[in-house]
Amino acid sequence: MILVCGIPSETPLRMVTSNLERMGAEFTLLSQREFPKCQLWFEVKGGETIGELQVAERTYQLQEFTAVYPRLMDDRFLPELSNEPPDSSLRKYCRSFHDTLMRWMEIAPALVINRCAPMASNSSKPYQAQLIREHGFLVPETLITNDPDSVREFRAKHGRVIYKSISAVRSIVQELSDEDEERLDRIRWCPTQFQGFVEGTNLRVHTVGGEAFATAVRSEATDYRYAARQAGEPAELREVTLSSELSEKCLRLSQALELEFAGIDLKVTPQDDVYCFEVNPSPAFSYYEANTGQPISAAVARRLASDYTTAPIAQNRLAETSPGDAPHVSTCGPLPIPRAETSRTML
Amino acid sequence: MLALFFLEGTEMWLVLCSSSDTSGLWVYHGLRQLGVGPMELVLSESLAFGSRWEHRLDGSATQLRVTLPDGRMLCSSRIRGAINRVVAPAPGIDQQAAISDREYAQAELHAFYLSWLHGLPGVVINRPGAVGLCGPWYHISEWVSRASRAGLKAPVYRQSAQDTAARGDASLAPEGTTTVNLIAFRGEVYGGRVAEPVARACARLAQEARTELLGVELYASQNGEWTFASATPYPSLSVGGMPLLRSLAEALTQGATS
Repeated sequence: MILVCGIPSETPLRMVTSNLERMGAEFTLLSQREFPKCQLWFEVKGGETIGELQVAERTYQLQEFTAVYPRLMDDRFLPELSNEPPDSSLRKYCRSFHDTLMRWMEIAPALVINRCAPMASNSSKPYQAQLIREHGFLVPETLITNDPDSVREFRAKHGRVIYKSISAVRSIVQELSDEDEERLDRIRWCPTQFQGFVEGTNLRVHTVGGEAFATAVRSEATDYRYAARQAGEPAELREVTLSSELSEKCLRLSQALELEFAGIDLKVTPQDDVYCFEVNPSPAFSYYEANTGQPISAAVARRLASDYTTAPIAQNRLAETSPGDAPHVSTCGPLPIPRAETSRTML
Repeated sequence: MLALFFLEGTEMWLVLCSSSDTSGLWVYHGLRQLGVGPMELVLSESLAFGSRWEHRLDGSATQLRVTLPDGRMLCSSRIRGAINRVVAPAPGIDQQAAISDREYAQAELHAFYLSWLHGLPGVVINRPGAVGLCGPWYHISEWVSRASRAGLKAPVYRQSAQDTAARGDASLAPEGTTTVNLIAFRGEVYGGRVAEPVARACARLAQEARTELLGVELYASQNGEWTFASATPYPSLSVGGMPLLRSLAEALTQGATS
């Protein structure tokens, strides 16, 4: 039995459950919004973890779940709580329910895509960059400082410099402008992250179950997720084939970070150098799948339905058809996309 | 004018802790008495108001340069290692953010600390990880699970959505029972006296949690068996006494990069 948790109408979740249905896989969908009707407990005894989840009228033994796919939204912001005072019993139950669910998932003897602890490497981008670097990827030259003069020197050296959040809180990646330089005194109280701009082609590589799905993104925007806003037109996405060397490197990186499913952000320079910006542990893959037709959700569903005790084999069906190790990428057809999300900026 | 005297100095070791961390202060003075030096005490309160921070990453290196309010400068090229007892960025900086931005400011500061602490050169005890700035801060449910796997007797842990209080990392020792605190460090166990198999299980727990230095609390169950109560990467170090201090000194001065 597979447990899927989150908001059922959320696109990535919906795509995975559709695939599970198509496959005939047995799964339970736990809607966060139904939490007032749910009960949950678990017990760790003699090294074993057991428990029960009650959803409406039905009760499941937690040990029945062989795989879990959590895509949980911040439970503090569930619509069911919007009119609740801060110390209401419903709010407290909601928090307690989600805490119990998360604590169980961390130790459950099941495949969890993904557990919280490995996901936390993404809570600090420069920390994660140090781990990424150990696996043979280049990382952009980075300066984190609260000193405006250091930033000016860094910009003079690199020409084009971008700034973005250090933490997992999403920020729109912006290029440092002359106007921004005039506001640099604002960083004195809190160190801020700057990076030398890397020219090249953006690549998003989704890894799951030993498979890698690569998407090339063409956009004039500094942050292609906001291409329409930054560059006036949406980014173009197309499926690409990675060299077997790069594909295996991506799979090894995900495995080293203990992420069953990951979205790896790369940039391939005109000199064919590969920079890695970050590894997203909860990738919104639907954006890429909807625009390229890449069967990412099907791969997630297959992994959930697999025998989780078997380690994913580093087989890459895309790489099997790759002509060789260089260049790193070859292309398939183009497709456009729009997307907008709220975000913070640094300056 | 304050002198930036670290730049001219030789290589050094650091003890990073807060001013109220008696264990951190105990280790600092103890290591100095054992002749480990130059040894610098860097209080997290002073880090909070570091006047100038520079933390750099490139294709091969990670660097740190911070000027403290007292004029000292920490430079990664001069650091040989550290005892890291930083639990969280010291409060203060985030208070300068607008109320609506405080959560964001806290996340940014935590992310920044995680990166520069991880990037410190040499032997760092404990090097930070994604779930803790001075080693892993697992929830008690996960420690119980890990303790069982390591071979320690552990109590039954039960958590329910109906629970009214968060459990966090609270001790599972029943009130009034006898407890013993041990320190597992690099395969050895320091502190209270327990049977060899129990000590070995504590060492395995630290190893399994990929933590160089781990405090383990045990309690005597009704039949007298030592039973797991809690674990922390931020233990009271003085229970390890001089033997632990000597091992820490040896690790800092002779140990390979941790």
